[in-house]
Formats: sequence, C-alpha cells, structure tokens
Amino acid sequence: MLRVDRRYFHNFDWGLLILILAVCAMALANLYSASYPPSTYGMPPYMKQCYLFLLGGMGILFILCFDYKALLFWNYPFYCLIIALLVYVLVAGNSAGGAQRWINLGLFKLQPSELAKLILVVTLASYYSRKEDESGYGIREMVTPVLLTGLPFLLILKQPDLGTALMLGIIFVSMTVFAKVRWQTYALGGILGSCAGVFAWFYLLKDYQKQRIETLLDPGKDPMGQGYQILQSKIAVGSGGFTGKGYLKGTQGHLHFLPERHTDFAFSVWGEEMGFSGSVFFLTAYFAILVWGLYAAMTARDRFGVFLAFGVVMLIFWQAVINLLMILGFLPVVGIPLPLVSYGGSSLLTTLFALGILMNVRMRRFQTGQNLDMEKVKQ
Amino acid sequence: MKWSGYNNLEELSEVDDAGLDTLKRRIGLAGFVVICFLVLIVSRLWFLQVHRGAEYKGRADNNRVRVSEVAAPRGNILDIKGREMVTNRPSFNVVLVREDSNDVDTLIKKLATALELDISVLWDKLREADGKPRHIPIRLLEDVDWQTLAYVENHNQEFPGIRIEAIPSRVYHYQDVAAHAIGYLGEISKKELAARDPEIYSGGDLIGKMGLERLHEQDLRGEKGSSSSEVNARGFEQQLLKNIEPLPGNDIQLTLDAELQKVAEDLMAAGDKAGAVVAMEVKTGRMLVMASNPVLPLSQFVGGISHKNWNALLDNEKHPLINKTVQAMYPPASTYKMMTAMAGLATGVITPETVFYCPGYYRFAGRRYHCWKRGGHGAVDLKRAISESCDVYFYQVGLKVGVDNLAKMAGKFGLGHRSGIDMEHEKGGLTPTKAWKEKKYGKKWQEGETLSIAIGQGFNLVTPLQICLMTATIANGGTRYKPQIIEKVSDPDGHVLSQFEPIIGNQMGGEKVFLKKIQQAMEEVIHGRRGTARKVRIKGLTIAGKTGTAQVVRLKQYRHLKEEDIPYKYRDHAWFTCYAPADDPEIAVTVLVEHGLHGGSGAGPVARAMLEVYFAERIEAYAEEEKNKKK
Repeated sequence: MLRVDRRYFHNFDWGLLILILAVCAMALANLYSASYPPSTYGMPPYMKQCYLFLLGGMGILFILCFDYKALLFWNYPFYCLIIALLVYVLVAGNSAGGAQRWINLGLFKLQPSELAKLILVVTLASYYSRKEDESGYGIREMVTPVLLTGLPFLLILKQPDLGTALMLGIIFVSMTVFAKVRWQTYALGGILGSCAGVFAWFYLLKDYQKQRIETLLDPGKDPMGQGYQILQSKIAVGSGGFTGKGYLKGTQGHLHFLPERHTDFAFSVWGEEMGFSGSVFFLTAYFAILVWGLYAAMTARDRFGVFLAFGVVMLIFWQAVINLLMILGFLPVVGIPLPLVSYGGSSLLTTLFALGILMNVRMRRFQTGQNLDMEKVKQ
Repeated sequence: MKWSGYNNLEELSEVDDAGLDTLKRRIGLAGFVVICFLVLIVSRLWFLQVHRGAEYKGRADNNRVRVSEVAAPRGNILDIKGREMVTNRPSFNVVLVREDSNDVDTLIKKLATALELDISVLWDKLREADGKPRHIPIRLLEDVDWQTLAYVENHNQEFPGIRIEAIPSRVYHYQDVAAHAIGYLGEISKKELAARDPEIYSGGDLIGKMGLERLHEQDLRGEKGSSSSEVNARGFEQQLLKNIEPLPGNDIQLTLDAELQKVAEDLMAAGDKAGAVVAMEVKTGRMLVMASNPVLPLSQFVGGISHKNWNALLDNEKHPLINKTVQAMYPPASTYKMMTAMAGLATGVITPETVFYCPGYYRFAGRRYHCWKRGGHGAVDLKRAISESCDVYFYQVGLKVGVDNLAKMAGKFGLGHRSGIDMEHEKGGLTPTKAWKEKKYGKKWQEGETLSIAIGQGFNLVTPLQICLMTATIANGGTRYKPQIIEKVSDPDGHVLSQFEPIIGNQMGGEKVFLKKIQQAMEEVIHGRRGTARKVRIKGLTIAGKTGTAQVVRLKQYRHLKEEDIPYKYRDHAWFTCYAPADDPEIAVTVLVEHGLHGGSGAGPVARAMLEVYFAERIEAYAEEEKNKKK
C-alpha cells in the first residue's frame, strides 16, 4: 500500500499548519461565545464544529497521502458527482427558508453547493493547466470553462442561493483572469455579463434578493429587515471599541440583537468582544494564511499546482472579503460565511479540504515528474 | 490501484517552465490585491471601532438597557387630628409597549380573547396613543383585579410587549368628604406636559387637576424612581442593572376636621341641600370645615372621568363642580347687619342706645322700603335691631353712614376682598362704593341704593367664607385672621417642613369696643325671647349668631305664592352664621343653603348640629351636671 516518503515531513509546511490551527482555535473560541449560554437541548454548535474540525483534519491527512496531480484525473468524476448532488437537492433536498440546499447527514447537513465551490476550483485548475496559451485565451477556448461554471451556477441559483452562485462566478473570473485572456474576450465577457445582470434583475432575481441589494444602496429604507441586521452588526462591532468588551461579555450577541450570530455574523461577535486590537490580530493571522497560500502557488512545482493553490486562496479570500464587508456594512446580506469561523459543516469541511490541497501543493513543491510515491503506487 | 492514462496526465503537468514563470509573476499582483482588501477592512474596523466606537457603544447600551420610571407615591393628606383622608394603594395596570411587540394587531386580539374584553376599547386606547413614541407604555386596562393580574403575569411569554405596571393610586378614606378642597388627579394633558419640566413629568403621569392636589402638586408629587434593566432583543428582561427608589411626596396635614366636615356634608346631603358650610377657629384662622354641597364624586375621577358623568355634573342645577365656600357669591342679606351696625357705631352716627321707630316700612325719596315684618317692630334699639333683624333700623343707619363708609367697614371684616385662602378661583365678592358704580355703570350712586346695601341686598355679594370670617372677627374682638387650611407639611421621614402659624390680616383700632354690643345682640338672636334663631339653642352652650334670607329675585308674581310653590331657582337663599361659646368663642360656623328660604329654619339646624358635634363633651358634661342638680 501507500508508504510515505520521509521527505514529505521535511517539506511539509509546519508554519502554515500552525497558522491554520491558530485561526481554527480562535474561531472555535468565538463560536463558543456566539452560542453562549449553551442551549439546554441538542449538541451546542461549538461541539459540533469540534467534531467537524476533527473530521476535516482526517480529510486533510487523507488528501496529503496522494499527490495532488491525482486530481487531474479525478476532477471530472468529482465534477459529475457534484452536479448529480446539486440536481438531487433540487429534487429531494431539505428545504429551509424557501431554499432547497441540504442533504441531511445526521452530524451536519451537507450543502453540495459549498463543496461545488472547491470542485469548481479543481476543475478550472485542471482545465487551465492543460490548455496553455501564452497570448491569452480566445473566445473559443472560453466556451468550456464557461459551461463548466455555468451548469453548477444555474443549479445553485435555482435553489435559490444567490450568494453561493455568485461565489462560483467570482472564482471563475479570478482564475480566468489569472490564466490570462485576450482583450476581445474581456470585452465580450463584459457585454454578456452586463446583459445577463440586467436580465437577471428583471426575470431571475426573487424579490427578497432585489430587496437586499436595494437595502445596501439605501439602508434607511428597511430599518427592521435587512438594514436592521447590518445595523446591529455595525453596532456590535463598533461598540467593541479598541479593546473590546471582553470574552463572553458582548451584549449585542448574547442578548440576540445580532442576527445569525454564530453563522454569517460570527465575526461581529469577535469584533464586539475583542475590539479593534483583537480583530486586527485575528485578521492578520487569517490573511497570513492567504498570503502564505499565494506563496505556495508561487513555489508550486507545476502549472496545475499553481492554479490549484491560487484557486484555493481565491476561494477562501473572496468569501472572507465578502463576509467581512457585509458585517462591516459595505455589502448586502448575501449569506456568504466566513470560512473557518462561521458555523456550518459543509463550509468548514470544504475549507479544510481546500487547505489540505494547498498543503499538498506546498508539500510536493520540489518533486519532478518522476513521482516517487506514484511509482510505488503502481508497484 | 491502476489509473488509466496516468502517464499521459503526467506529461501534461510538465509543460514548459517559461509559461510557469509568467504565471507565477501574476501571483504577486494577486498578493497585492489581497493586502489591499486587508487594509480596507482594517481601516473600516478602525472607523467603526475606534473613530465612532463611543457612539456605537451608546447605541449598544440603548439596545440593551431599558429605563422605566417608577412612580412615586403621592404624599398623604391628613386631617387636623391626624386621621388619614387620602393615602395610596398599589394599583395594577395592563400596559402595552409597542416597541416590544412585533405584531400588535394579533397581540391585541389574543389579549381580548384571553381576558374576555371588548376589543374596541383596546383599539380606542391604542388610537389615543397614536403618535407617541413606541417605547412609551400605553395603559390598556387600569386598576385590574388580581385574577387578571395573575393571568397576565403567568402568561407573559405569550404576550410579548404586554406588561404589568404597578402604580400608586389614591384611596379616599372619607370618600367624597372635602372633595372640593382636596381635589382630584388626572392623567397629565399634552398642554400641561408642554408647560412643565420634562425632567419631572412625562406622558401618562398623574397630576393634580383640582384643589390641593393641584395647588400643592409640588409638595405631594414626590420624586420618581427609575429602574434600569437589561433586556434582550425580544424585550424580555435579563437582569436588573440599577434601581433608584422613588421618593414619596410630602404629607400634608389639613386644618380641616374630617369628622366635622363629614357631619356638615351629610347634613346638607340629607336635606338635599345645595350650599356651603364653613367653620373656622376664631382665634387662629384655622379652617375646620370647608364643605360645599353637592359634593364632588371623587371616585368618578379616579382613572379619568367619563364624558357622561362629566356632563351630568355640568348640567346639575345644584352645580356640584363649584366650590361654594369660596367660588360662589351671594347677597349677604341680614348677616350684613352687624357690619352696618358696626359702621354706624364706629362713625358715631348711632350709639347702642339710639332708637329708631319701625312702622313696617321706611319712606325714602317717595318710595316705601319695607321691613321684612310688615307689622313693624316699633321702637328698636341696636340689640333688638339685630336680634329681630329690623330692616327699617338699618335703612336709617345706612343712610347716615353712607355707602362708602359701609364699604370701608366691610373691608375690615374681610368682606368684598379675597381672603387669600389656599383654594382655587376664590371670588372676592363685592362691597359697592360710589366710585365703583361710577366706574362700572357710569352712573351716579342713588341714595336709595344705600338702603339695600345696608341690609345686605342690592349690589352686595359675599362668599360664605367671608361671612364666616366676619363672624370670627366679631367673635374674637376685632382681629381678622387669614383663613388657612394647611396645618403642617412634613417630608416622608416626618420632618416638619412648614407648620401652621396664625396670620393676622387686620386688627381693629378703637372701634373694637363696640363689638361687645354687637356680640350681645348676636347672642340675643339665639337666646333672646324674640330672636330669629331660637331653634338653634343648645342646652349647655351659649351661641351668638345671625340669620339671613337673601332674595334671589324680586319678582312680583311669586310674592303671593306659598314658599314651597316658588320654583327652586327663584327661592331665597338661607344664611346662618354663628359662633360659640358666646362668652369665650372658639369656633365660628357659617351655613348657606342655596334657595333654602329662611336662615333660621333652612340653615340654622345644620349649624346647630355641627356645634353639637364640636362641643359634644361640653354639652354632655352640662347634661350630667343638670341631672345631678335635679337629684
């Protein structure tokens, strides 16, 4: 079976691991506060999240055992699987708040749309690494990636989950721009994109989704609805001041003024209790992972590794940015979690797997094509 | 494990290094973007948490801290003997805080069903509160019984936004006794609120609307307390943060004697009489009784009087809303004759021995001015003139004294001027002078009018309090005390803040020697053989007094009618004023019965009954003595 080369230990990026563990520890502590005092029934969220961290850790170990190159083969089976799951939730998934998103797995509810983000990263990385064009991609080369992104995008939009669908779009744009396209492609993309936007506003978006966007443009319009959530979040964060109110001493969160305080608005709790200093500390660690990830992309051994690492960083980065800007009142409430921090099994596992891939790329940075373990696998 | 096409994939990942390097260069740009966003987020955090941190902290506290006022118990009102007349009890109101309820309509429906209430009443209360801030509690039900209280308290989770408010409410231990003097409370009006310190008053507060409750609002109201509690987003209280106990109002002890006042009011009510009963300590100015009938139904005012009840009070021909002791004016009639006599004696136009002949009328300027006794009194001196109330005698005294001198003397007795008593809307009365008529009507004074003035008719108007004041001044030998009704104000700890002190309004000069004669004449009114108030006599007590019958109209068509047949509103007013004991006076009692016909019969018995109560011990002791003597 599989034998692990000692060089992997040598090349393994312990610093990255420590950073990730530190952020995860802070996130768990924050989740404990966000769901404090513990409710009398059911497993408290932080306990569930603990188990999921362990599960995700095992997943990372599993991922590290294989060369990430294996994904070049496995990406299409995974892609087909996720499309199947997305179709399945649409047909038979558990619904909440009018949206069909989940498959109940007991410990947590699997949200295929979360996993779809990571699969898309892998798929696009695979596609762009195979097709190289120094002068940039033309319109014809873009048809396949657009279709690969469009299919899960539409399935998720249908749930409806505008936020996650848009995330897919953002991942697609980030990776495509990174891969370099011709200016004609940009122009056409821009025109088609804006047409699609206008079309969507009038025919596709549900009223509540439009309302969220309108609220952002004019928060006073809807003080008790979406605007209320954002306002309470700003009050929570702002009232933290420089030093914060102290761990477990936030009032906005514990007195329920803050909505969704252990999911989308989890960082508001941190901001309220830890203040500016604590927030900057946390964000520094968090963004250090991202920068480290980009460094991993820069040092990757091959084109696929670069795209994989870059895509994973973008996946986490954009979610984090959108979530933080929402919490701080710059964006509408779109339901994008803060990876690692927000409570939610699918998001956490997806993020941990993504980090697993990142570590994998980092760990195998010195290897050449004559992959030793792969040869051993063949034996 | 065998992966088909593996080698092929292997080759794919080994594309040339030049392309890889340009790709990697682009990562630097991505890193720049990432750092830019970090900077953006951190600066936003700085703006929210540091730059505007204090403001958001305030808003967070506003969210979680609910400050509610705790009404202060109003000061108690006691009578002169320390008996509690008005105190407080806790009353419980069901209130709605709209801010804490996300669906007021459903809530109201649910509450109405649960408590079996008429829902339209609740809607009305809500409509009244339109435009008020949403965190101000609206009183839906006032002074609820304990079943309702228990139900709402036990089911508070089902009615978010509904709360129980405990506020002190007035208890009237003597029901409506002294209602006009004490007054009542009501919810503060928008106008009153605008005129007052918002630090002290807020909407929904009770405020004195009439009487002492209004005049001494500042003493009685106390200081509100407050309780700050932490609430969660649904409005449920989590913990008490700060509690400031309210400071009760100051207690006011009145000079009124509740029992005596009750006797007066009951006697008037028993005879279905409208009018006033005033009793005063002659040597201090303490008011013992200030009764006005019909009494105000105070209980109707608790929690706001209904429109129907208010209109009934307005339309009542006996005018219960008017405090007849000071707010109503009547011709003094024969009670004025002591004053006329005093003016005559003081100016020297008569002596006590001067005699006038009364043939039953007095002819002046070609007109006959009748005496009430058509047959005439014959030769009349001062004593008989007062005790038998001879009009003709006083016509002539009045003529000799002149209207201006009459007014001057009237002033010394407190007639025609506000006494300055601590009551609202006190009327000054009227003692006419020549100048007054000139000014008021632009006409010269007719001497014939002086005749009417001399016997207390004509333009003359007095309040019952003024007649009592005059009686007391005669009784005490010429000192006019300012009438007062507050004995003592003390704070909740019992410290006396102010204490009754007699205030002298006027002291007569040398003319006071003549008062002795007037006093003797007044004694004769009761104890004389032909006195007009012989019915008032009490064994064991010497009383001095005077009756009066004030004409309301001088209509010929009613002259020949029997008194009982004259319509109520045209009947004469009955006066009786007296003091006792005659040799060493203690109290003066004045009774006015509106349309009560004759002083001696209409008003006298009320005064007599009051004296019997006031001097009960003395009268009993006398009866005991008499019994022993017979043995």
